[in-house]
Amino acid sequence: MKIEGTHVFNGPREDVWEMFYDPNVLASALPGAQKMEMVNEDEFKFDMNVRVGPVSGAFSGELQLENVVKPDSLTLKGGGKGAPGFLNGVGNIKFKEQEDGTTLMEYEGEVNIGGALASVGQRMIDSVAKSMIRTGFETLDKALVARLAAKESGSEVVDFKAPTEAQFAKEVAKDMVKMDNLSAETKLIFYIVPVIAVIILLAVILNSCGA
Amino acid sequence: MAEKYVGKSIKRNEDRRLLTGNSTFIDDINLPGMLHVAIKRSDFAHAKINKIDVEKAKALPGVVAVYTAEDLGDYWRPGPLQVPPPSVIKGAIFNARPLECIAKHKIRFSGEPVAVVVAENRYIAEDALDLIDLDVEILPYVGDLEKTVAPDAPLIHEDLESNLAADVVQEVGSWEKAVAEADVVVKKRLLVNRVAGAALENRGIVVNWDSNLSLLTVWATTQGPIPMRNSIAKYLGLLENQVRLINPAIGGGFGPKIMSSQIDDVVIPWIAMKLKRPVKWIEDRRENFLATTSERDQLHYAEIALKKDGTILGVKDIFYHNTGAYNPYGMTVPLNTQAHTVSNYRVPNFLTEIKMVFTNQMVVTPVRGAGRPQGVFVMERLLDAAADELGMDKAEIRRINLLQPEDFPLRTGIIGQDFVEGVLDSGNYPYALEQTYEKIEYEKFKKEIQPKARAEGKYKGIGITMFTEGTAVGPYEGCKVLVGVTGKVSVVTAYSNQGQGHYTTFAQIAADNLGVKVTDVDVVTGDSGQWSWGVGAFASRGITLVGTAIHNASLKVREKALNLASKLLETPVDELEMEDGVVRVADMPEKFISLGDLAMRSNPTRGTVEPGMEPGLEAASYYGPPHGATGFGCLAMIVDVDPETGKIKIDRLVVTDDCGQPVNPMVVDGQLHGGLQMGIGEAFYENLVYDDYGQLVTASFMDYLFPQATDMPDKFEIIHSQTKSPLNPLGIKGVGEAGAIAPPACMMQAFEDALGLKDMFITESSINPSKLYHYVQKAKSA
Repeated sequence: MKIEGTHVFNGPREDVWEMFYDPNVLASALPGAQKMEMVNEDEFKFDMNVRVGPVSGAFSGELQLENVVKPDSLTLKGGGKGAPGFLNGVGNIKFKEQEDGTTLMEYEGEVNIGGALASVGQRMIDSVAKSMIRTGFETLDKALVARLAAKESGSEVVDFKAPTEAQFAKEVAKDMVKMDNLSAETKLIFYIVPVIAVIILLAVILNSCGA
Repeated sequence: MAEKYVGKSIKRNEDRRLLTGNSTFIDDINLPGMLHVAIKRSDFAHAKINKIDVEKAKALPGVVAVYTAEDLGDYWRPGPLQVPPPSVIKGAIFNARPLECIAKHKIRFSGEPVAVVVAENRYIAEDALDLIDLDVEILPYVGDLEKTVAPDAPLIHEDLESNLAADVVQEVGSWEKAVAEADVVVKKRLLVNRVAGAALENRGIVVNWDSNLSLLTVWATTQGPIPMRNSIAKYLGLLENQVRLINPAIGGGFGPKIMSSQIDDVVIPWIAMKLKRPVKWIEDRRENFLATTSERDQLHYAEIALKKDGTILGVKDIFYHNTGAYNPYGMTVPLNTQAHTVSNYRVPNFLTEIKMVFTNQMVVTPVRGAGRPQGVFVMERLLDAAADELGMDKAEIRRINLLQPEDFPLRTGIIGQDFVEGVLDSGNYPYALEQTYEKIEYEKFKKEIQPKARAEGKYKGIGITMFTEGTAVGPYEGCKVLVGVTGKVSVVTAYSNQGQGHYTTFAQIAADNLGVKVTDVDVVTGDSGQWSWGVGAFASRGITLVGTAIHNASLKVREKALNLASKLLETPVDELEMEDGVVRVADMPEKFISLGDLAMRSNPTRGTVEPGMEPGLEAASYYGPPHGATGFGCLAMIVDVDPETGKIKIDRLVVTDDCGQPVNPMVVDGQLHGGLQMGIGEAFYENLVYDDYGQLVTASFMDYLFPQATDMPDKFEIIHSQTKSPLNPLGIKGVGEAGAIAPPACMMQAFEDALGLKDMFITESSINPSKLYHYVQKAKSA
């Protein structure tokens, strides 16, 4: 599956990059992530639980970062496996400063999915993945706004509350409804694959900054 | 003379049992202390196994054992091959790579078994699957039929030089000569898609080992009970009669259930003996899609050479055949393709080459049709392309090239799946074409209906295609017929029944010969404890081979009964008649003896017998034909394409089918209905799709689209033609696959006719609404 797209963060590139330092921000955008740890420089392990639709189970994996040019770009490689199947992928991410002070994030990558993840409705994945990614970014947008506000007021407390897993799923479903007229049930069934794709994509960004 | 049953549409003996829910299917078998198996399958399509860690799974409460290939020790082995190599064909290359029951060093397709969990119930067994850690090194996936034999392709079997599984060339006459004499040569690249057998009931096995009696009882959904029994006995070191293999009622077979040397029949009996407890495994639907064999998937480079008047001079067909990761079933499917390509027509020069290739996909073995639809698709599409090229009518180009009744029997020069040169035993192909042509009102449709519809903005088209169905191949089948002490008749065979109506059709044959009611004939199929010999349900061979054996055996029993009655009634045999369950003196009806009494008397308990005497009103018989009997037919369809949605409606479907003497025309109709639905599914609904990484993305009935009853035409208009086979006394041919053969070719022709686009030519055996919609848009702008 090919994943590519762009997103504009309403803030300077350094702040966007910095936002990903905060593991809480990642967790907010990515339901299901249990653990993310660095095992070597630019090498990470993660564990997560997946429990959506007919596919459920523990999932663990590894990620490697390559070509890290802070705060400009990076390449990620990695994969994971568990009861729901497996996933391997390569992705490239770029952050570009815009003249209006915002940051353009460009991402493109290829994800190879296997097992129940693949055989339970892969034809739906492309469109669902897009909704998942958009919803993830909307969460991050809110986090960024809160962080920038806190920075401006000099407050140490960031006024941002992460959505729950259920809220996140609901947002995805709403996004899907905007796109087309598929039944909500169908969407939930296929929701899991993009969850993982987004988690990996964003987890790597976060941790690369953390490192 | 009593009414004869053969040839009559009588109701089926088995239906009361089936419809009242009183049949025992595999999952209905439950034994005290039974354990349940779940199979861990690889998610990877191609990988080297580093380590399989099963410790966590073993520790789960309720798990009794977990086994991998390593645990099987010397018992683990690939294969054996289920169908031998085609060494009878000169110059044939065949690289045998039989199925591995459970992957040991390497994984070659996603869905391949890697471990087996045995637990107190299925829930626990399934949970334990999640705790097995499979550590692998992922290898590049190969799935493309041409790329897999490119020099740089990753090797699926490293000990081979390439992924070429087999190469077989057969030529009749000279293709070169045909080209030299031809006015026109038409070339096409044609694709045939991949479909599942998708029986309503999945596979399953239950095994019980009785160590006191040294008896292993196996209930299995196999289409080949005796070969499976023999294989289990051999590898477990048991005698044949220490393994009783029983077919329970089976909910559809369609080919894939013929397979043996798989994890179920190899590993589960071994587990039952090791643990000394009954063990059950029932396949689930996802497993069935991933790891039960499927078929089609060929790529053809085909050419046809003709004279200006449409006379065929020759056909050339070089094709790639996907066998999947292994080739346990030999070359049955592609040889069937070769045998069926030109079998309706006079084709003096025919060159055909199979390039069978390994890919990282599920193994390909016969699915109803079994290579025949591919051959017919290629030939019928070539004829359509040639007709377009020559400006001829589609029916006419067929009409002038058909084999004529006087051409039979015809030696084809092509060696088929049974390893003998094909002989078309009998037929009347022009009759089938003309009957169908008239019934569907071909000319009226073209001249009146279609133009009128087009004027109303409707897109209606007609297709008309021929097919043959090679059936009833050897080597043999057998049976035992007994008149019991109640006067009822027992027919016992180890042939497998998956819904073909054998409990009725077999009974009809015996009833006629023994003068009993058809409901007084009890048929047992697929129980090696009752009858120990046979081959299996494939190639539409049951009614011809077993039916003929029953005919012969029941005639022997008849003779025994008459001889005994002749002594007891003190009347010569030729003055006796056998009817209504008695043997009586023809002109003295009050002087008779019942079959039951005769049966009792046929086993004397005192006195002496004559030398050579055989007790009982019982006889066995075996039948093996010198070659198969070939059925044939003509299929025509009128389709309506909705220009707004690309959806279709089949307005009319007319099929003329000839399977020789039908034993029960209603059962024949049923076979045609089912076959046609499968063929229509293949052409417009069903598709097994692997993604670029070897993942099957259609592993559920949500993604694998099955045609519904509402997708079928209102009526299948069936014409029975009867050209009796000269090969057997009843003149029977098979019919099990007939319906599934021609629909893809017929429907593509009809779609093209409906849209009436210049240069529109569908090169695939499967199309869908979105592709059709694309053509509709072109048609509108044309």
